[in-house]
Amino acid sequence: MKNPLEEFEELCYVYVLYFDEEKGHIPLIMFPNEDLKEDKSFMRPIKYHPIWFLEMEESEALDHIDLEYKGFTFFGKKFLAKSKREKRRAGLEEETPETIIIIISLPNDLDIFGDELIRQITELIRKKYEEQLYEVIECEIAREEVIKTPKIKQCIKEGQQTKDKIREDIRNTCKQFFSSVITETDSTSIRKQKAISFLSLKGIDVSHIMGDSSFSNIKLFDPTKKAKGEISFKKPLEIMDIHIVEDSNELEILVNNNTDEKFENISVKITHVKEFFEKEIMNQTVEEWYPKEELLFISPIIPHIDEYLFFLVEEENNEKLLSKKIDIELLRKEKV
Amino acid sequence: MSKEEIVEEEEIIIRNYRTSDYEATLEILQQLHDKYDIGLEEDKWKKSSGLRQFKPNLKRITLIAELKETGEVVGMGMVEAVKNTLGQYIGYLDNWAVKKDYIGKQVGKILAERAVQILSSWGCDSIRINIGYGASDKLIKVFQKAGFNPILTVLEKKLEKDN
Repeated sequence: MKNPLEEFEELCYVYVLYFDEEKGHIPLIMFPNEDLKEDKSFMRPIKYHPIWFLEMEESEALDHIDLEYKGFTFFGKKFLAKSKREKRRAGLEEETPETIIIIISLPNDLDIFGDELIRQITELIRKKYEEQLYEVIECEIAREEVIKTPKIKQCIKEGQQTKDKIREDIRNTCKQFFSSVITETDSTSIRKQKAISFLSLKGIDVSHIMGDSSFSNIKLFDPTKKAKGEISFKKPLEIMDIHIVEDSNELEILVNNNTDEKFENISVKITHVKEFFEKEIMNQTVEEWYPKEELLFISPIIPHIDEYLFFLVEEENNEKLLSKKIDIELLRKEKV
Repeated sequence: MSKEEIVEEEEIIIRNYRTSDYEATLEILQQLHDKYDIGLEEDKWKKSSGLRQFKPNLKRITLIAELKETGEVVGMGMVEAVKNTLGQYIGYLDNWAVKKDYIGKQVGKILAERAVQILSSWGCDSIRINIGYGASDKLIKVFQKAGFNPILTVLEKKLEKDN
């Protein structure tokens, strides 16, 4: 049997792209396989992904945008990075930052892992390579030059080195992520169970989940067992429960501070989108959130509005600690 | 500590409600309901009911009075700040209850003092307490001593729910 961690490379695609004023959407890195860059039908969901059309502020607020296409979910995130490139549009300067797009695609059955994976990959690239991404951009532009002077060759070489480093880091992040996912011994989440079942159906060896070498002995559905480490990548603030109170037509969101630290000035926002405009239902500040404390956030449910966005943002540095899309219809179905 | 004595402030911890306080708080509310028929519906008091709550225009915290020595929960009270249409926060003290054996031993007073501090820090302009219609003059005088004066009489009509 193949190494399961290598198998993930066939299931998960990571794209790092930038927007060129003249040429449009240009892929900088495609992981694991760059050969499909020129394949128009393969690249179609990338080219038309809604993340391209979102303003930076909207993109920040929504955390990431998903697109479902032919059995795959494409998660998109956008951020700005340092630039030294001469821009090809009036009004833009060399220092005008580059718009970087990160998209990861996963089969729909594995979409539960998308939120966390794109968060980890974006964090990795932003933290480690935000200042160097322009080298990869320059490298891609230089490749197009007909005459490659020693200076251009050097530029390509340096860009390629950065690119290789990024690819290696993406590979390691994916490996680490998926290995942490499949070491979960059990999960009461049906969606997660489904995702792990999908991995096993794809022929990926998940037998080590039960510490047994026999594939047939895997007890994927054992709701009586409590997960050893519910989520390997435990978030500082975690939603413990989302509940609809039918009597008062309210939504209750229970969130726990998993850390041993006190959070200060956390902004709590609940919004919904109506006719393309985002409307705020709740905007409050939690001045102090004590270690291990659970807080209950209650929002009215607006008639005919089924989708809500819930955010927790640290006011001091505007860092998003948690964001969740809540689908009322889905919650009601799950309850039944 | 003898149950006849007054509870001193140093003997008590006032803290936030935790889900582990659920049983103890339910018992206190049941005792209060048995004595005054406060309309307690037990299934409505859930484990999460006492947690700090944030709603549009509302903040709520449930304070717990715990004996330092034994860890026994002897009192509870909900502190609520509601933003009115003028944008002012009005504080409310709600579901104020002390364990039967500790009534009259100043547990409620210690809780209330902390509640006033909290509501003041939340920027409340005033604090209100709802008490049952026809409550004894003695009870009203106790509140007046603490600075709470009657300002409203609330009339209520119960509506029957459709099944």
